[in-house]
Amino acid sequence: MSQTPQHGLTRRSLLASAGAFGAASTLSPRMAWSQDGKILKIRSYSDIQILDPSFRLSTPEGDIMTAIFAGLANYTNGDEWNWRPVAVETLEQLDDLTIAFKLRDKIGFTDGFGQMTAEDVKFSIERVADPANESPYAGDWDALKEVEVKDTLSGIIHLKNKFVPLWSTTLPTATCCILSKAAVEKEGGKLGTKPVAQSGPYIMTEWTPKQRTILKRNPDWAYEPGGYEEIQIFPIEDPAAAEIGFEAGDLDHTWTAVSSISRLKENPPPGGVMLEKPSLAYVWMGINQDVPPFDNKQIRRAVQHAIDRETVVEAAYFGAASTSTGIIAPGLPGHREAVLYDYDPDKARELLAAEGATDLSVTLDILNQSERLAAAQVIQANLADVGIKCEIKQNDSGTFWTLGAKEGDYWNKLQLIMGRFSMQPDPSWATVWFTPEQIGVWNWERFNSQDFAELHAQGLIESDPVKRDEIYRAMQDLMDESGCYVFLTHEVTGVLHRDTVIPGLKPNGESLLPDFKPA
Amino acid sequence: MLDYAVKRLGLAVVIVSVAMLLLFSMIYLIPGDPASVALGPRATEAMKAALRERMGLDQPIWVQFWNFYSRAWMGDLGTEVLSERPVLTVVGEQLPYTLALVAGGITWSVALGIPLGCWAAVRRGSWIDRVVGVLSVAVIAVPSFVVAIYALLIFAVALQWLPAIGAGKPGDLGDQLVHLILPSLAVGLGWVGYIARIVRASMLEVLEASHIRTAYAFGLPDRLIIYRYALSIAILPTVTLLGIGVGQMLSSAVFAEIVFSRPGIGKLVYDAILTRNFPVVSGAVLVTTAFFVLLNLLADLIVGALDPRVRSSF
Repeated sequence: MSQTPQHGLTRRSLLASAGAFGAASTLSPRMAWSQDGKILKIRSYSDIQILDPSFRLSTPEGDIMTAIFAGLANYTNGDEWNWRPVAVETLEQLDDLTIAFKLRDKIGFTDGFGQMTAEDVKFSIERVADPANESPYAGDWDALKEVEVKDTLSGIIHLKNKFVPLWSTTLPTATCCILSKAAVEKEGGKLGTKPVAQSGPYIMTEWTPKQRTILKRNPDWAYEPGGYEEIQIFPIEDPAAAEIGFEAGDLDHTWTAVSSISRLKENPPPGGVMLEKPSLAYVWMGINQDVPPFDNKQIRRAVQHAIDRETVVEAAYFGAASTSTGIIAPGLPGHREAVLYDYDPDKARELLAAEGATDLSVTLDILNQSERLAAAQVIQANLADVGIKCEIKQNDSGTFWTLGAKEGDYWNKLQLIMGRFSMQPDPSWATVWFTPEQIGVWNWERFNSQDFAELHAQGLIESDPVKRDEIYRAMQDLMDESGCYVFLTHEVTGVLHRDTVIPGLKPNGESLLPDFKPA
Repeated sequence: MLDYAVKRLGLAVVIVSVAMLLLFSMIYLIPGDPASVALGPRATEAMKAALRERMGLDQPIWVQFWNFYSRAWMGDLGTEVLSERPVLTVVGEQLPYTLALVAGGITWSVALGIPLGCWAAVRRGSWIDRVVGVLSVAVIAVPSFVVAIYALLIFAVALQWLPAIGAGKPGDLGDQLVHLILPSLAVGLGWVGYIARIVRASMLEVLEASHIRTAYAFGLPDRLIIYRYALSIAILPTVTLLGIGVGQMLSSAVFAEIVFSRPGIGKLVYDAILTRNFPVVSGAVLVTTAFFVLLNLLADLIVGALDPRVRSSF
């Protein structure tokens, strides 16, 4: 026979405990963040869905993969888009079609998969490029012919044709994470959410879905160690929730909402440092040239002249972002100083009158986000000012991103659309979506220019920076001339971090996890 | 009692079946291509087609429904589109967080609502009664997301007593309880008002009953009469109300999970709808519906067991 222990819990003791707890809480506010350089708590805007470099779905997944799977290269921390070697001792372009690499000799895979070899490099790169594997990133290695293994650690990457973006948007990305051939084959050819054969400066030790991911320093990593012993990554979609989490001391680093940047710059939370990073993304209003009344180029031009881009961007981003001049951000080849057709409402009215366009009524489809709605409302007012009635249609992301698809039945009703595309640090990643072959895929304005397509192809193989600059400027001029585009902004990225942390960031504010360090 | 339980169970099965049909119809009427959303801008048409085939979206809708329906009754909710993990596993990982949140909400509502209602009834017409009445209406009227935001700003940001985000360290019960305080308050506060009001009304009715008047006439202590003889009867409607309240709290949990960045079924469904991850939406909503129906069944059975009149009227 057993006896239940008596705890003697009485109302008096309960009240006394509660009082003591309250008093203790008052005396010692929570200091949840680590200040000893051991644990870093940061936000990512989405959770892990897959940890296979060939099938990654989001930037945060790529950030984690480049920390746990050593890649050939990675971007450098700072304000310039440069790369640095990670798994390689040397990575050298021998000529336009060959790149030689030699692996570092002390990189091993966890889970008993041995040393990283040139055979693993060959497997990893050719796995992405092989059309049979259906990797969405196959285009990164479109120019690949084969990877030749010279010896255990050395090899040569052979290209079919010259491919200039290789060094800026393929080699330093998660596309070039090197996986263990044996491990992937053992897993049936595809990795899931449980990483195997990790090899980077960190290893992932815990993933609690929708809650947190924990990376710890890889004890077998023999090169530059990560700045923190442990990095805890919290998936928080809502930037406002993340800002509160930071102010409450639950986070050491977060991206903020663009609309919060001004407030946080003027009045940062105690111990907080607010940074603004130029974004490569671009936001524009597109005009579908295949749908009346915008099948008339003069009416498209009138809309270009009707939009006060400065006011639109001011209203949407509270002064934190500036207007853009195209789809290519400052700092990249092809950035222009000005658009060809800017705000001129008198000219817009004149054009509309000349075309006899009175009582026009159009629709503007947007994503249901506060910045887009604010921008759309100014556009609505601008259009009303020149006599065009505009109805704003808000869509959730699942619906929005299929509106202009040729498989659907809405592309021939779509008139005005406000889009935002993210970008890689090469201008070809901006122009690729507006070629004729993208009509009904991502080219929803149905802008159809063979000259544009030819220039895009030239840009991929032109290595002279001056000529490249001219090519991409000319392409944006063609977009402007078509009347299909009103370029709005490249936005800006707000980064809030604790003053005890030196963040590791790419020039656009994206994270380089191993580069975070205690101040 | 057995007859009553069988009938109620049969009704529960019908409700779940109808809910599945409605659910399936609704999610397939939502515009948007799941394959395009899931695979992103770099996917080729061939990749999208392959994913649609894998998801069964290339089949007639009635075939899709039959596949979903027949598998669901066997406990197979399919696999998550991208990670290819079983939906049951994905839902199972999130369900405990939501259940903890709802349990926390119920705890707040019962722990505060019953004493307040009881207190107001015993002091009928006094200033205490009036204050409780005003407070009850006030907390019912305030939406849970407003409670969540103000609770965050006061207790997490200004005072830094409690954490603002997350659900606590896995395996650390104390940390998880601390992380539960604010979200569960946000979910349960409105129900404090409902329960206080129903307990008060019910208590007033019971306190007028002849057996209570008799107890007073015999000179039994007030505390014994109120807590043992009156409250035990007056609390019955609260059990039924809580059965309904769980459904409401499950809805409120969506806001709490988003505002507090907590894992849970609400956030899972919200994210899955945005990404048109239909298997997860179907599985999570089905599990939640079944859970809600089962809880109501349980509440009915408890009330039936306590009150023979309910059994005989069914």
